[in-house]
Amino acid sequence: MARLNDDAQWIILMGFLISFSFFFLAIIINQSTVVGQTTAESVIEFPKNDIRDLTGIITYNTSRSNSTEVVRDIPVIALSRKNAIVRYTVILPQSPQDTHSYALIHYNNGVTEYDENWTSL
Amino acid sequence: MDKTTRSNESGVSEAIGFMLIFGMVIVGIGLVTLYGYPLLLKQQVGADEKIMEKNMIVLQNDVKSLAYKTVPFKETSLKIGGGALTIHNSSAANPSSNISIDNGVVASYLPPFTVNTRFTPGELRYESVSSQTDISLQNGAVVLRQHQASGSVMLAEPRWFFDTATNTMVINLVEFTSETIMAKEGIGTVQMSLTGEPYYNETLVPMNGNITLTYNPGTTQDYSVAWDNYIWNTWNIPQSYKTYRFGTPGTGNQVIYYLNNAGSTPMTLVIKIFRVNIKSI
Repeated sequence: MARLNDDAQWIILMGFLISFSFFFLAIIINQSTVVGQTTAESVIEFPKNDIRDLTGIITYNTSRSNSTEVVRDIPVIALSRKNAIVRYTVILPQSPQDTHSYALIHYNNGVTEYDENWTSL
Repeated sequence: MDKTTRSNESGVSEAIGFMLIFGMVIVGIGLVTLYGYPLLLKQQVGADEKIMEKNMIVLQNDVKSLAYKTVPFKETSLKIGGGALTIHNSSAANPSSNISIDNGVVASYLPPFTVNTRFTPGELRYESVSSQTDISLQNGAVVLRQHQASGSVMLAEPRWFFDTATNTMVINLVEFTSETIMAKEGIGTVQMSLTGEPYYNETLVPMNGNITLTYNPGTTQDYSVAWDNYIWNTWNIPQSYKTYRFGTPGTGNQVIYYLNNAGSTPMTLVIKIFRVNIKSI
């Protein structure tokens, strides 16, 4: 008489386990959309290029003759166009010993606050 | 009798067995319908609301892009489940709030600078049908409230900020406008764009000068608890600048915040108003 062979029951058990693991994976996938949103947000929010543009313009204008007007203009433009508070002071080369220009730059757009002490070459 | 035990089936009835098993199945179905199904529905409502909270933050990002990133036009497709998304523009009846900013004596810091000038932001509001919850995108912030409770909570903050290095206070106000009254259920596309140049004004507040900010909640929609938490606690103005607060949030009455320039230099007060036009929902 043929005996009952239950060697392959693990296949059914594994199927059961895998189907349950799908259930938990579904929960994790459901949560992941929120994470993606916040990460993308913080990347967009970070004003790296704004700060680069700004330091570029400020350092370019340190040596110009009309730099006193520019010092007044840039904060106004930054506030109205980029919604950021910008203040900076430029210290021109003082004596024959020190040939460097300096710029103290302050930037704040409510999310990112940035201060730089720039020195010319 | 035999020595070996024989199986005795004299007490076994097919009918009773059937009844037992069938009874169990019926009780099982009954339990699931009575308790399981409402629970599932509730979960669905919860999921709809969670999705909508996220959607509102996406819409807030759109507004941010328009206002602060000089993007001209924004469009977002979203699924509005378990309720409706409605635009209440700044001139709609029964606004959820209005605010005024002045120096406590005569003038207003808001255009047209006359006494008692009030700014009404308008809102994009999602009203959940089954759980009686409202989620609203107003004045650059996302706020949530329950219909029955007096409390409310802010899910995403507006971008008001204070810069200590330059003693500058920036208040960004966002006003919603629209051609018509619009509402949507199901899949919708929210299109928005900036109208005109943003209003921009810089005022010097002298040392010890006052700023009075009045938040006046609407008669039917009261988000004053959320805004009170933001203005009085979360907004990064220094503690020494906060003089006192008059009124109780959550009661439907106006709350007045008295602020004072306690710094050693005149404070720059920057007020910007962005007018966002909702073209369609």
